[in-house]
This record gives sequence, C-alpha cells and structure tokens, in this order.
Amino acid sequence: MTRLSILATAAMIALAGTAGAQEPPKDPPVIKIGAIFAMSGQASWYGQVMSQGMRQAVDEINAKGGVDGIKLEAVIEDHKGAGGAEGVAAINRLMSIHGTKIVLTSFTGPTLGIAPIADQNNIFLINGGGVGVKMVGASKYIVHNRSLSSDLALGALQVAQNMGLKKMGQLHWKNDVGDYIVSSVEPVWKKGGGSIVATEAVPQGATNMDTQVAKIRAASPDVIGMWMFTPEVGLAIKRVREFGMKQPVIGVEFTANDAKVAGATAEGFLYINDYFKPSDDQPWSKQFAADYEKRWGKAPEFYAANYYEGVYLAAELVKRSRKKGGDYINGERLKAALYENPKVDSVYGGQMTFQPNGVAQKRVALFKVKDGKGEFQEFVQIK
Amino acid sequence: MDLVLQLFVNGVINGSHYALLGVGFGIIFGPTKITHFAYGPIFAIGAYGCWATATMLGLPVAAAAVCGVLAAVLAGVLSYLWLYRPFERRGSSHLVVLIASLGLFITLENLIGILFGTDTKVIPDISPGIFLWGPVVVTSIQLWQVAALAIVALLLFAFLRWARHGKALMAMTDNGEMAQIIGIDTVRVSLIAFAVGSAVAAVPAILILLKEGATPHMGFIAVFMAFVAVIVGGIGSFKGAIIGGYAVGIVENLGMWKLPTEWQSTIAFVVLFLILLFRPSGLFGRRLR
Repeated sequence: MTRLSILATAAMIALAGTAGAQEPPKDPPVIKIGAIFAMSGQASWYGQVMSQGMRQAVDEINAKGGVDGIKLEAVIEDHKGAGGAEGVAAINRLMSIHGTKIVLTSFTGPTLGIAPIADQNNIFLINGGGVGVKMVGASKYIVHNRSLSSDLALGALQVAQNMGLKKMGQLHWKNDVGDYIVSSVEPVWKKGGGSIVATEAVPQGATNMDTQVAKIRAASPDVIGMWMFTPEVGLAIKRVREFGMKQPVIGVEFTANDAKVAGATAEGFLYINDYFKPSDDQPWSKQFAADYEKRWGKAPEFYAANYYEGVYLAAELVKRSRKKGGDYINGERLKAALYENPKVDSVYGGQMTFQPNGVAQKRVALFKVKDGKGEFQEFVQIK
Repeated sequence: MDLVLQLFVNGVINGSHYALLGVGFGIIFGPTKITHFAYGPIFAIGAYGCWATATMLGLPVAAAAVCGVLAAVLAGVLSYLWLYRPFERRGSSHLVVLIASLGLFITLENLIGILFGTDTKVIPDISPGIFLWGPVVVTSIQLWQVAALAIVALLLFAFLRWARHGKALMAMTDNGEMAQIIGIDTVRVSLIAFAVGSAVAAVPAILILLKEGATPHMGFIAVFMAFVAVIVGGIGSFKGAIIGGYAVGIVENLGMWKLPTEWQSTIAFVVLFLILLFRPSGLFGRRLR
C-alpha cells in the first residue's frame, strides 16, 4: 500500500510536471501584426510600398488558413517619416488599442524612439527598411532583414577603391543616417589612401541641391559618393549630370522612383544594395513579384519585398514559438524561436541567416543603371 | 571665383522662383489679409494639373501648362468660396481663418497623395538644354524660371496699373474698409485675388515639375518661401516680394561659399529673423505705427 501510494504520488508529480512543460498555447482570436510606417509626409512613398508588401503577405497567409489556423491582422500606424516622438505615439496606440506584440518598424529615428518601449513591453520588432547602424541592438527584441546603410556604403567604397579612384566628393542626407554613413566611410576611405575633397549635406526631402552640387563640382573629385535615399538619389544624379560632371557616381540605393526622376541621366550610376531580383530559379520571388504587380499595378521594390518577408518571418517564429505552448507571442519567446535556427526562408531566394547582432545576412551586390534599371554586376563581399 | 559666380547665378535662379512664389502669395494676402497657407497645395495642384493632362491626356507640355494654371485657379477660387468666405461672413478672427487654412493645407496635400499616389511625378522625355557660360552651368528650365518672373511681373504690373479690377485690388490692398466704402465689390476683388495669385503660383510649380518632378508635399517649402519673401520684402508691396525673393535666394546661395551647406536651410530663417527684428514692416512695406 505504501509502495503503491508512493508510486501514485510520483506518477501524479510527473504528470503535473509534464503538464507544466506542455502548457497549451494561449491562442489569441487573431494575431495582430503592427507596423509603423511613413504613411504620410514627405517620405510617404516608403509607407505606401512597405504597407503594400505587408498587406500582401498577411492576405496570402490568411488565404492559406493563417498560422496554425489563427488569422493574421495588419494594423498600420503612421510615423510621418518624422523622429522618435511620432514613433512613440504610434507604438503606444498599437499597444493600448490593439495589444500588439509584433511590430514591423521602419526608419531609424522612429525605431530608436520605440526601442526602449519594446524592451519594457516585450514587443518583437522587425525592421525591413531603416538603415541606421544605431538600430543594431537598440532593443533586445529587434531584428533586421535589411542590410544597414553603413555596410552598403563600405561596399561602395570597396568598388571605388578597386576602380583606382582617389578623390571623393560626398553628397549626403543631413540626418542621422547620412551623418553616420559619412562618419563610417571617411576613415576607411582615407586609410585606403583616398582623400575627401568635398562633403556636402542636403536635408531629407530637399529638392533644390544646386548649391551642394556646385560646391562638389568646384572640388573636382574623381568619384562622388551619394549617401542618400529615394527620391533624392534620382534628383541628385540628375543635377550632377546637368552640371556637366562625368565622374562615376556611386550610392547605396536606386529605386523606380529615382529612375523616373533622373531619367536618362541615371545611366551608369553604380549602387550597392541587397540583391532582390525575381527570376525563374527563385520561384517564391517570382510568385511574389507577379502577385504584387497584379494587385498593386507596379513591380515590387525591395522595400515591399522586405516587409512581405517580415510578415512571413513573424508567422514562422509564431509557429515555432506556439509549439512550446503558453504565452508564446512576445519578444522574448519570438527571439528565442528565431535563434533556435537562425536560418529562415527569404523571398530574395534561398535562406537568410540572422547574425547574433540581429542583422540578417543577405546577398549584397553591385548594380549599374542601364535603361533606367539596375543591372547586376557582381556580388560584393563587404569587408 | 568660379564657385562664387556659380553660386550667384544659382541664387538669382532660386531668387526668381521665390519671388514668383512671393508675388502670388502677396496678391492674395495683400487685399484679403488671409494667411493662405493652402497656397502650398494649390501650388502643387498647378503642377499635378499639368502632369495629369500631359501624361494622361497626352497634351503637349505648353497646353498642359495652361491646364495646370487653370486647375490652380479653380482650386484657389473654390478655397475662397467654400472655406474663407463663410468665415468672413461670420466675422471670424484671423486666427480662426489661419487654422482653417492649415486644415485645408493638410486636406489638399493628402488628397493629392490619395488621388495620384505619393511617388514623384515627372513628364517623361523632357530633357532640358544645358548651357555652359564659362565656369557657369545653367539649364533651359532655370532660364525659364528667370524669364517667367519677368513675364509675370510685367503682366501683373500692367494689370494692377491699368485694369479696373487691378486698380480695385490695389485699393483694397491699401485699405480694405475704405475700398468697401467707395463701392468696390470686395468679395469679387477677393475672388480675383485668389484667381490671379493661384495662377501665378502655378507657373513656378510647373517649372519645378519639369525640373525636379512633383510630389504631394512640394507645396510645403513653396508656401514657406513665399511667406518669407513677402515678409522680407514688405507686406502689400509686389516690388518688395520680388526683392525679398531675390534677397533670400542670393543670400541662401552665396552664404554657402564659406559656410558648410548643412546651414543652407537655416539662412532663410536668419534673414527672416533679422528683418522682423530690425525692420518689421519689411524692406518695402509701410512702417507700422
């Protein structure tokens, strides 16, 4: 009797322990994925593209039955392309109204603003657009499926150095992203034997950059480093060429929007970027691009691809985390789920691998603009 | 020296642009005393009107430009009839009208984005001629920016000097109450002011469309620079708006000869502050008592 009761007690304890480890998942009625994009203001082009990519992924996953039967819902807030305050207001709305635990974020300023809030509230952040290096490690729970601007700029320097160019003129955004690129590239360029002959700043959203271009022209550089993003890239290339400058121009982005603005003057522009190119040997990329074009009437920019991919990443991590039961949708659990296996399918083709610092390693390549489109030149291994 | 010359030419070109903006803004503000911040998106409507008719209807650029001007005129007149006039009837304060104008600014700006998308709009296959004058580079569109000011200024001068409505507009600018007492139909003159001011705004907008492309937010800097040109030149003085525009444009460019260009956007504010501090009525405005 005694032995029996001991066995029974042991069995009950064992069962109880097992039950604790296998606590059933606390499923929400719907998984809300928040997003903080520039839906209005001067940078609203980004918000439009990013939200289209996000919405497409959510609809696709829902059409396939959701994540383990639970539907996704996209909740998009606007940071207006502004600084941290707008981002903070946006994440507060996402938390208080929607209780969101997964947020797709964009732009450096707003992301830096929301990072401490994400830490305090156990929110998982996925950045597919912001390029400021300060975002690395800004939150315990942030990951990036976009190469950072300073890395891309260093790749651009390698290309310029390989071309034997020595005197560089820089035209950069006057904001944290542009300033950080300048501070990253200058020592590397000088260490490689180069000199900086002009560094001119334009505010984000500026349309008139004639003064800056005139000053760069007067400095007679061998190469112009263009550390800015759409649509200023297109405008800057146009003005550089209209000012009669024939030097190579190298940058870190070129979109269809830039192609429109620059027109024929963009020919020969070199840029380093993530290698997103839908092709027959990458069926997911090809399908995404075809569906996107059908739905939105335009070929997808890589920003759309990144946020599309971001939703799939979130869905995959939720699925992994759910298997372990309990309260499975939060920053801590989703991050742990990611690093169980940091290789995740990428819409760029193959898989992306998340490094310990949260930045996904993707293929980076040199492109040259021909007939208004970036033509692949070579893959670049950033040193 | 080559750089100074180029910066000076850039300053004259930008100054012409600001002067046109200031003249358009001043024509509305002078007689109506309405701080028409929605002038910004109406400027953008001028550009979008030109873009839409050139690319969607396939009109030649010159004809499309006329459509752009008409679109801006229509938007300007409607903004007066539907927004400002009801406030005037109720005797609302300037502050209320100012806030309503800001609301209209945001509404129109977002409406443009919703209707046309937020990407940059360009008219394809427009490649401006490039002229090299020694060390100085200018494009044909930049020359048009300077010429446009000369043409518009001459037309306006003739209108204000000899046309009946032009004289009425000047009288109302001088003293609105007195103009009403002597029988001038101030509502009609206000409508004319909005029509003419909006038409003037559309001209630099169309040139910016050809030079840089149009975006829904292009009106923000436009209304700001128009405001600065008018304040610097002197409220109520069209000559002042032109001089004010040139002053800001040239200082903004030549000032960058030795200063880093990151200071450029600050220059307009510095000029504005200095004028407000030492000559609050502007360079050519009447002294305030």
